[in-house]
Amino acid sequence: MKLKVDYFSKWLLLVLAITFCNFAIAQRTITGTVTDAETGEPLIGANILVAGTSSGTITDFDGTYNLSVPDGATTLDVSYTGYSSQTIEIGSQSTIDIALSAGELLDEVVVTGYGTSKSREVTGSIVSVKEEDFNKGNVNDPTQLLQGKVAGLAIARPGANPNGGFNIRLRGLSTVGASQQPLVVIDGVLGGDLNSVDPNDIASIDVLKDGSAAAIYGTRGASGVILITTKRGEAGSSKVNYSGQLSLESADRLPDVYQGQEYIDAGGTDLGGNVNWFDELLQTGTTQTHNLSLSGGTPTTSYRVSANYRDVEGVAVNTGFNRINVRGNLTQKALNNRLTISMNLASTSSDQNLGFDEAFRYATIFTPTAPVIRDVNNSSYDQWGGYFQVDAFDYFNPVAIIEQNTREQKVKNISSNIRGDYNITNDLVVGMFYSYQRSNRDFGQYISKYSFWGGGLGSNGNAIRENNENQDQLFRLEARYNKSFANNLDFKMQLGYEFQDFAFQGFRAQGGDFLTDAFTYNNLGASLDFDNGLGNVSSYKNTNRLISYFGRINLNFDDRFFATASLRRDGSSRFGADEKWGLFPAVSLGADLARIGNMSSFDQLKLRAGYGVTGQNVDESLLSLQRFGPGSKFYFNGSYVPSYGPVSNANPNLKWETKTDVNVGLDFAFGDYKWTGSLEYYRTNTSDGIFLFPVPVPPNLFPETKLNVGEIENSGLELTLAYNGSLGAGKSYNITLTGSRWFTPTLVTLSDPETGVGIGGFRTGANLGSPGQNNTPLVRLEEGGPLGQFWGLVVDPNNPVKENGEWNFVDVDGDGTQDDIADRAVIGNGFPKYQLGLNTSFNLNNWDFNIFFRGVFGHDLLNTFRAFYEAPGAISGYNVLRSSADIPTLTDQPQFSSRHVEKADFLRLDNMTIGYTLGALPDGFSQIRIYANAQNLFTLTGYQGVNPEPRFVDDSAFGPLAPGIDRRNTYFSSRTFSFGVNLNF
Amino acid sequence: MKRFNFYTKSLAFAFAMIVFAPACSDLEEELFDAVTEDNFFRTEEELISALGAAYTSLYGIMSNGGFVCIQEVASDEMVVPTRGPDWGDGGVWTQLHEHTWDPENDKVIGSWNFVFNGVNTCNRLIFQFTELGNPLTDPFIGELQGLRALYYLWGLDTFGNIPIATDFTATEPPAPSSRAEVYAFVEQELLEAIPLVTKDVGGAAYGRVNEMTLRTALAKLYLNAEVYSGSPQWAKAAEQCDIIINSGNFSLEPDYFTNFAADNEGSQENIFAIPYDEVFATGFNLAMQTNHIVSGQATYQLTAQPWNGWCAVEEFVNSYDADDLRKGQPGTEDGPSRVRGNFLWGAQWDASGTVRQMDDNTALSGIDPDGPPITLRTEINELKPNAWREAGARVAKYEFPLGTRPDMNNDFPVFRYADVLLMKAEAQWRQDNGSAEALALVNQVRDRAGIDPFNELTAENLLAERGREMFFELHRRTDQIRFGVWGDAWWAKEAKDECYELFPIPAVQIQSNPRLVQNDCY
Repeated sequence: MKLKVDYFSKWLLLVLAITFCNFAIAQRTITGTVTDAETGEPLIGANILVAGTSSGTITDFDGTYNLSVPDGATTLDVSYTGYSSQTIEIGSQSTIDIALSAGELLDEVVVTGYGTSKSREVTGSIVSVKEEDFNKGNVNDPTQLLQGKVAGLAIARPGANPNGGFNIRLRGLSTVGASQQPLVVIDGVLGGDLNSVDPNDIASIDVLKDGSAAAIYGTRGASGVILITTKRGEAGSSKVNYSGQLSLESADRLPDVYQGQEYIDAGGTDLGGNVNWFDELLQTGTTQTHNLSLSGGTPTTSYRVSANYRDVEGVAVNTGFNRINVRGNLTQKALNNRLTISMNLASTSSDQNLGFDEAFRYATIFTPTAPVIRDVNNSSYDQWGGYFQVDAFDYFNPVAIIEQNTREQKVKNISSNIRGDYNITNDLVVGMFYSYQRSNRDFGQYISKYSFWGGGLGSNGNAIRENNENQDQLFRLEARYNKSFANNLDFKMQLGYEFQDFAFQGFRAQGGDFLTDAFTYNNLGASLDFDNGLGNVSSYKNTNRLISYFGRINLNFDDRFFATASLRRDGSSRFGADEKWGLFPAVSLGADLARIGNMSSFDQLKLRAGYGVTGQNVDESLLSLQRFGPGSKFYFNGSYVPSYGPVSNANPNLKWETKTDVNVGLDFAFGDYKWTGSLEYYRTNTSDGIFLFPVPVPPNLFPETKLNVGEIENSGLELTLAYNGSLGAGKSYNITLTGSRWFTPTLVTLSDPETGVGIGGFRTGANLGSPGQNNTPLVRLEEGGPLGQFWGLVVDPNNPVKENGEWNFVDVDGDGTQDDIADRAVIGNGFPKYQLGLNTSFNLNNWDFNIFFRGVFGHDLLNTFRAFYEAPGAISGYNVLRSSADIPTLTDQPQFSSRHVEKADFLRLDNMTIGYTLGALPDGFSQIRIYANAQNLFTLTGYQGVNPEPRFVDDSAFGPLAPGIDRRNTYFSSRTFSFGVNLNF
Repeated sequence: MKRFNFYTKSLAFAFAMIVFAPACSDLEEELFDAVTEDNFFRTEEELISALGAAYTSLYGIMSNGGFVCIQEVASDEMVVPTRGPDWGDGGVWTQLHEHTWDPENDKVIGSWNFVFNGVNTCNRLIFQFTELGNPLTDPFIGELQGLRALYYLWGLDTFGNIPIATDFTATEPPAPSSRAEVYAFVEQELLEAIPLVTKDVGGAAYGRVNEMTLRTALAKLYLNAEVYSGSPQWAKAAEQCDIIINSGNFSLEPDYFTNFAADNEGSQENIFAIPYDEVFATGFNLAMQTNHIVSGQATYQLTAQPWNGWCAVEEFVNSYDADDLRKGQPGTEDGPSRVRGNFLWGAQWDASGTVRQMDDNTALSGIDPDGPPITLRTEINELKPNAWREAGARVAKYEFPLGTRPDMNNDFPVFRYADVLLMKAEAQWRQDNGSAEALALVNQVRDRAGIDPFNELTAENLLAERGREMFFELHRRTDQIRFGVWGDAWWAKEAKDECYELFPIPAVQIQSNPRLVQNDCY
């Protein structure tokens, strides 16, 4: 820790030194007026910037400006919201008047998948987020850039685990049992690995939200598509950019348990120590990131290369990673600019210290009067490697867990692709694309011989080595034809063929019984378990293949009427023999009423509607085949021999989940583009949902089959509203509101009427777990009812405990008993109903501010800490939550009930940035900006647990159908302060 | 116009590229780490491995989630009390003890699955072997028929009105049969299979269904015929027992505990055993289920921390005479118990017998009446919610050698010769309650236990003797029902209606097969 701060101080000094070195620079002054090209009216608050620098100004009330320009400056960049930007040669003039044409916003390029489109022409639901709108601060995962920025898109991570991924849910639940994560496309690579791209290298992210936009991705589009476009070099002078950032991170909320004397006063036992286990487990996490990029180009060649380094230490001791990423792209034009060839190469290597999330649970309940280390004279000192332990079930010294044991992995990822486009004529382009991705994960874990937790003690040390390799290749051919007819009809057509091949393989070995801890997981041959036949070894390999044909037509009639239609035909090796191919059509229409009706008060009023069919592929290979595999050993003729039995049933009808989707939207802009926004409604139906069912044996060989029987319905509303305002010269502000309304999805059916297979009305699942609460289902799936229902006994909220000390459950069915099956009821819902993002940014000359609030509302969370650790009587054995004092007379054991399902609405000051751009620059620099950022400054919530973020996936078999369970092994959430600098030269 | 032609050609070219591009339209799955019927079930070894699946289904019988739970914990022998934060598990354990289980109790579900996984595997293999027509598998078919009858006997005993499914090609979910019909089916199947299976015992036939296995099953079926079908079959039961006794294959071991040792495969008394193994055939976890969390691990040097759950009901422990060799002796303040018995109780010591075991967290052992020194009491203070950590005598019948792993090596005796002697005795006594032969058979078993002979047999002392001898061998519930005392009250269990003799058909089964009919009472 000390070392880190020292490092930080030096680093900061360097930055300050650069910042305050001032050089005398020769300057001259230019004046002029900025007007609307059509009307000639002056434009107030237009930006004028000396190109490649940060020095600039804003026009005043009369549209005039007055700007000091350094010698050597050659051009001015002039921009105004809602108008096309212009670049003006300065030459020797001292007065420059500029006329701007309206329409910049509507000409903004939107990535639509296999192509781009102008914003005005888009008829599906597509949101484009540019770099300047990304979330700032300690962002190590590309999806975090979008958190709260896109209406309908929920991005959540239950805790601040630096190695934990974000769960992404676009427009709520879109599939029954297949993958819920949207398809990620990075520079045209379908299924791109998010770990292969550093957030600093991303230029824009486009989100395809509705079926009409996503249908061109066929069997992978049902959960939406996220298109990531990385930065590229541009023709012109070469640029060097350095960004550096240091972040300090601390846990923001902790479970509220007793500490020290309070614990004893509340009835706990004094074991002689006084330890706040959270303090032992947690630290100030530090993150440093460095990004260096070089870019540039000529009219025929452009390039960009970048290197990123991230060193992250989480708020829990022994968690973090260290990542190096390099990325390069090169574009070359040839054959009279008819041929364009570009290459991309990215390589990422990450060393991760995964740590042990279980430690959070035990830090909460381990006795605060226990010492960390046992008295060396105690007879149990050696047994547990010196750590204080208590022989109880599911109860471990958290410091021992993280200090005695090791859990690490190295992840390597390479991604390369090459693209060639040839303009046969000015209207017709044919293209070819090839991509190769490969990632390797090397996992190692060692549980010490002295570790009470994890069975290390009993197995005399235990090591795991695991290696997984994923690779995929993609080959694509495309033809694109663009033509304008009669000056007012733009016609675009494209056709494509795509072939993608995936291969997964892995190897795992686990063994115990070591003589020494010295090897950790690096010398499995030293494990006696293998000699004794007790070691475990496994390996796997499987492949799959996807073949697709697709086409799309776009029409734009006079910028008034727009139409898009697409069709994709997908075949997958994973589908059953009778269902190898699927067809995914889409059509969408739009009309700009502002132009059609000549409504002068609106700059845009585009009504659009779309219909699309998308699919979700089966998530495993070989599911459609009857397979056999080894089971337990069988005693035959005096020795044990393998037994082989079925591990699956043949299912020739296995196919994709089909989602049909209707989307209606209204895009609007008025007040000279000061106000912009859109309003959308969508309704989806997912049929052929894939779910694992028990099936009758006979006629099946295996008792479970994945079948296409589920159907869910889902709908929602989305609103985006932005206002761009001016506060006079050099001063502007923007307020953007994004709101989402998710209607709770309905489970139409999860049964097959023909075969009778299914849940037959309802099924409960998602077990609470050990200790003492196995066989405690938490969630109910109910056909015809809403998804996400918590299901359990109801405790009388006014009188939770009976006189005899037992839980006072409500006799729901009125039969005189209080805790039978029929007394269970719906006691909450884990799906959120609303999301709100409110972004306010100010540019005040050299200063910039950004404040971003994010809230999610309407969801319940099951606080499992309370369900387990709120019984006051338990304090004799382990620490309990202070809220146990609310039910002092309870003598019953902890038991899950309505009491533990809490409203988890929250509003969070999610992100705040203040930046300063130097006005006078040292020679050679084109921009210097320093900033400070805070993430998660405060959270307003009534939720008693650590983090009120919605939970979208449970680690039980119900997975995404059991949202809202806040499990005990969740990494705590954090608050982060970052300081950084951007240098351009 | 020339230009336009060029467009057309280019477009045609592009189409051609797309349609005939690398011609990869092959969507067959490639298999690397799995086998299908296309490349398996060819060699003798592969066919034997297929047969194995019918036997490995047996390993679930003693698991913490299945059949042993409904047979033992529901009887008056055993109890799994809720010990503070441990073993509440949504009430499934105390439901079993109090006879308040419901169709969602996962031990009931697990038991159904145990029975029908076995049945279905046998059905599948009979079908597959018949289809393959390989002469190598001919002897397996009768064996599978016999094994299926054994699974059915368990299903008949616990769920009663279950579907009779033998045709693997049937696509309709099967309809249930009445308990009497299932009884008749099991009888017929056993009689059919007996001539088809080997007469050998031990050696290559160990752990496999042989003639004596099926005759013991038949004896058990007949002994309970009145419960199962309404008509007693005492003479038929006695007849089967006689065949087993007169075969000369079995004899009482001089030491009762030889039958339950970790290396009990040589027992002369075990007729059919499931050959558990710590590595190859896992699933017998009694050392984990029953031992105290601290002392159990120290006394037997277990490789994992035991779960401190299952224990015997005090009245049942007390039904043994103090000098009954089967009971065992408690540990004391002077040293550990030197006499192995069905039960483990009293003061607990480490493996060397020199270090008194302490629950050194006074916080957790605080409610135990004896405090930190671990003293397992036969007394259980309450069923729930706060039974002592040290409450209840533990099951020590199956040997725990030092270094026992979570999965034990002891083979589980499904059928044992002493049981056949007691069954014969009962069958005789039922026909003639003054039968001297019956009395002599019971006293043969008592004699080995080192206790005085009975002078006469009564329903009470016969049931009690069966209980003591056959403790934790999954017979107690069946015996209590046959003797008509299942509905009686015992410790922490009220008197209940007779219909609780059968467990409910699991709710998930009725959902997936609407033809099933729920048993009375549920």
